[in-house]
Amino acid sequence: MAKGTIEVMDLEKTFKGGVQAVRGVSFEVGQGEFFAFLGPNGAGKSTTIQILTTLMVPTKGHARVAGYDVNTEPDKIRLEIGVALQETGVDPKLTGREMLIMQARLFGMTSKQAKERAAELLGKINLLDAADRQVGKYSGGMRRRLDLAISLVHKPTILFLDEPTTGLDPVNRFAIWDEIRDLNRQNGTTIFLTTQYLEEADQLAERISIIDKGKIVVTGTSAALKRQIGLDVIELTFANVIDATTAVNALQGIGKDVQRQDTHLKLYAENGALLLADVVRAIDAAHVHPTQLNVAPPSLDDVFIQFTTNSAQPQASSVTKEVIV
Amino acid sequence: MNKFLRDTGIHMRRNILLTLRSPATVLPNMIISLFFLFVYQGGLSGIANMPAFGGASYLAFILPVSVVSAAIGGSGGAGQALVRDLENGYFARLLLTPSSRLAIVLGPMIAGMLQLIIQTFLILCVGFFLGLNIKAGFAGFLVVMGLAAGFGLGFAGYSVGVALRAKNAQAAQAGTFVFFPLIFLSSTFVPLEMIQAGWLKVVAKINPTTYIFEGMRQVLIKGWETGPILQAFGAIGLLCVITITFAALSAKQAVSRD
Ligand SMILES: Nc1ncnc2c1ncn2[C@@H]1O[C@H](COP(=O)(O)OP(=O)(O)OP(=O)(O)O)[C@@H](O)[C@H]1O
Ligand SMILES: [Mg+2]
Repeated sequence: MAKGTIEVMDLEKTFKGGVQAVRGVSFEVGQGEFFAFLGPNGAGKSTTIQILTTLMVPTKGHARVAGYDVNTEPDKIRLEIGVALQETGVDPKLTGREMLIMQARLFGMTSKQAKERAAELLGKINLLDAADRQVGKYSGGMRRRLDLAISLVHKPTILFLDEPTTGLDPVNRFAIWDEIRDLNRQNGTTIFLTTQYLEEADQLAERISIIDKGKIVVTGTSAALKRQIGLDVIELTFANVIDATTAVNALQGIGKDVQRQDTHLKLYAENGALLLADVVRAIDAAHVHPTQLNVAPPSLDDVFIQFTTNSAQPQASSVTKEVIV
Repeated sequence: MNKFLRDTGIHMRRNILLTLRSPATVLPNMIISLFFLFVYQGGLSGIANMPAFGGASYLAFILPVSVVSAAIGGSGGAGQALVRDLENGYFARLLLTPSSRLAIVLGPMIAGMLQLIIQTFLILCVGFFLGLNIKAGFAGFLVVMGLAAGFGLGFAGYSVGVALRAKNAQAAQAGTFVFFPLIFLSSTFVPLEMIQAGWLKVVAKINPTTYIFEGMRQVLIKGWETGPILQAFGAIGLLCVITITFAALSAKQAVSRD
């Protein structure tokens, strides 16, 4: 029936001590869908994952994973899901192979089946060479790949990945992207992924929810989200922060919003090309000159920044904000 | 039930493997206990000529002290293993499997108990080498091993309980050292009758360790007699009930989803 699906209704989690990590989240993920939670630090991504993967009970609301209630049927859920948490769950004193075998045994496989499955997965994630080395001696990327393999041992129908590529170099990141894309496309595994990387959500997910401060701000395909903000971006780069700050002041009142990150400025406007002349005049009058200037349609980055910063100060959309990403 | 035993076996095997892989966590304690055995035997054996000892060999008299101190010193291992798992995130990984929750904490406890059984066996072997002669024969040997195993399980339970509450390695280790005084507030070096200070006599009578010493000494020195042996197992049973309840309550809290 509901195999491979996730349904979440008005989910809330308040920790002892009063931190409201999740504040009324609702969404649905269909069978075989690739869904991403995109949000900054402390948005509530990991908390949501811990509730959906049976590690924590919600304070309020309902959630069903693979058709089972997270409150009352955690045992059934555990058989259906694979989970790679934000902190990898590996024992540094065991070898990669031993960890996979142990996991397979705990999911009920015989010793022989477990060994075969371990070898198969080690091959898949390209770890055969390091299979019999202790995990403590693995690099960060190898550890992540092993952690992913461990979560796949029992061929789950739903895979939860909490920031699976944070801290990895591009080579390892792309290796993991390929692996999970394959799982989704070839095996039809439903994937729920959280990330702080917009590029990651953009590349992988069919549907994205942007979450901030425990609430979903917006949900849609990456194309729809970009359309929703409906603004062009004029990007300017300056030689130094002083020039950039001067430019921010000079550009007040032009377009909808100016944001600065170091020496980099983004000006949002409904029709970027038309405003370009105004922009150049304004910064010229302030005697600062950009080293780079271009006009582009919004990236998912811009969507993210727009939505997360606006949710912080809903009325202040045309105020200059310093964004540190 | 079958699944529970299977899961416990899987967790136990992992913990045994980990112990074998880092012998440095076990050996020092083992060596210190044997050192005590040599030193007490070498330095104090003269007092066994006093009438209160009734002609017993001091080796047989002091051996239980070595066994019990090895058990207390070694019992922190089970708790420390769990703390390690909590710290490196493996504990959460285990909670995400369908494994029995109880098996996850019982595995290291049983591995810890086995470690103490082997330790005791080695101490007895060294004892035999020094000329130990168990009065109650093979049955006596089994009693000593059984008491050590029970004592080990009891203390492993305690260390697991402390570990799951404190969630840090130092606390788990410090928690067991609290019990070192128990060894010495007892009929440790001389029989109960010879203890001079009245307060120590009282404390020794309350201290369950005394009954374990007495039970072991009964079979090592005097021969089979059911009374003291039952008392020793009774004391251990009580210890186990208390510490394992404590471990179970702490475990319940640690695996709870609130
Ligand atoms: N066990 C806990 N007890 C109390 N507060 C917590 C606990 N876990 C998380 N929080 C708080 O809940 C909020 C959401 O945390 P969460 O880990 O879900 O965020 P996140 O989106 O995963 O962030 P990140 O990208 O940094 O991993 C934060 O303010 C965090 O400090
Ligand atoms: Mg997180």
